[in-house]
Amino acid sequence: MTVALALLLGCGVVGALAPRYLLRLSDPVVALVAWLVSVLAVMATSAVAMLLLLLPDHGLGLAVLTAVHDCWQSLQHGTTPGIEAMSGLVGIALLTGLLVRLAIVGVHSARRRAAARQEHLAVLRVAGRREAGAHTTLWLEHDHPFAFSLAGKPGVVVATEGLRRHLTPAQVDAVLAHEHAHLDGRHHQLITIADAVAATLPFLPLFKRAAAAIREFVEMAADLTAARAHGVEAVTGALVRVSAHGAPGTALAMSGDAVEHRLIQLRKRPHAPGPARRVLTCGLAGATALVLPGTAAFGALFAVMLLTCPSG
Amino acid sequence: MRGLGELEAAVMDVLWHAGEPLRVRQVLERLDTGKALAYTTVMTVLDNLHRKNWVSRELDGKAYLYEPTLSRAEAAANALREVLSASGDPQAALMHFVQSGTREESELLRKALRRKASKK
Repeated sequence: MTVALALLLGCGVVGALAPRYLLRLSDPVVALVAWLVSVLAVMATSAVAMLLLLLPDHGLGLAVLTAVHDCWQSLQHGTTPGIEAMSGLVGIALLTGLLVRLAIVGVHSARRRAAARQEHLAVLRVAGRREAGAHTTLWLEHDHPFAFSLAGKPGVVVATEGLRRHLTPAQVDAVLAHEHAHLDGRHHQLITIADAVAATLPFLPLFKRAAAAIREFVEMAADLTAARAHGVEAVTGALVRVSAHGAPGTALAMSGDAVEHRLIQLRKRPHAPGPARRVLTCGLAGATALVLPGTAAFGALFAVMLLTCPSG
Repeated sequence: MRGLGELEAAVMDVLWHAGEPLRVRQVLERLDTGKALAYTTVMTVLDNLHRKNWVSRELDGKAYLYEPTLSRAEAAANALREVLSASGDPQAALMHFVQSGTREESELLRKALRRKASKK
């Protein structure tokens, strides 16, 4: 019971406090990995907690705890196995329900988005001029400088001729590189996942803020990729020129803060780390995020034991 | 060229380039798809485009004359508007380089850039 409660507490602490630290990570790709792994870790750790409640021998495999078994017994007094098993069952049922809902919402919105994409593509393909490349680009005869990418198999980039008219060639390349980075990094899919998490599990900041945070991280990651290939000047220049013209028929929510934030981030950190270093930091961040809820739980448990158990 | 969608695009391209109403035969002659297409294929494509309101047609003698209902720029503007104002969650379906901008916003950005420039 105590272990399970400690694990749940660890999940709660990580779920509440992790966003604060994740948002401070300087490399957006590391932040992406750490955030998504944290979400996974909190889910997995709470599942383990529920299972521990159900298992009759819940100390199983926890070497640290068997070593302090006496203390563990004293902490445990007062609860009957019946209550544990019941709460374990209720917890498992609750968790399963939430995960099923997450899967349903995720699949449903992925399908809806795919359908909308097909509809858009049907129109864009006819209206645009097709340019083959690593990713197909559809050029639209329109004076507003504007670009976006549509996921899919394969994904496409849509860009307006206005981009070439109002931006320098380096800036145009930067914009296209930014969109290619979205497609290569599977950013659309990450956002679909984050949206589903935020919509179905809105009770911890780690989940609730996932949608906005992941959106921000993918933009910054794509900016960095574009900056590496075409220079920071090209990316910032393009950001200002494209946003200054505005999107045609502005039906979307404003995101002025986002653009300025991106400019500031690019100024602060104009160079993406090399691939080897990035893999290493991503691995480290991911591993840390994965064990953090459990570590927090055992840390707390250990502290409680030290405080409550007389030495010897 | 793959799929009907791309054939439609190629046919529209021919019509937009022509600048005058064309017969199926003329469209077929001007199509440069890398392989020979059947007359009936082009006719079907033009029929589809007519059904979707991309082209209008007028009987001239025995054959139809086809012409785009919109200029390429108008079609592009319509397509953009449709994509951007799509119901549901367009933001998730596509990712913009920047989402949108207003006068105040761009002023903000210019300021941000000036700060950057003056720092150097």
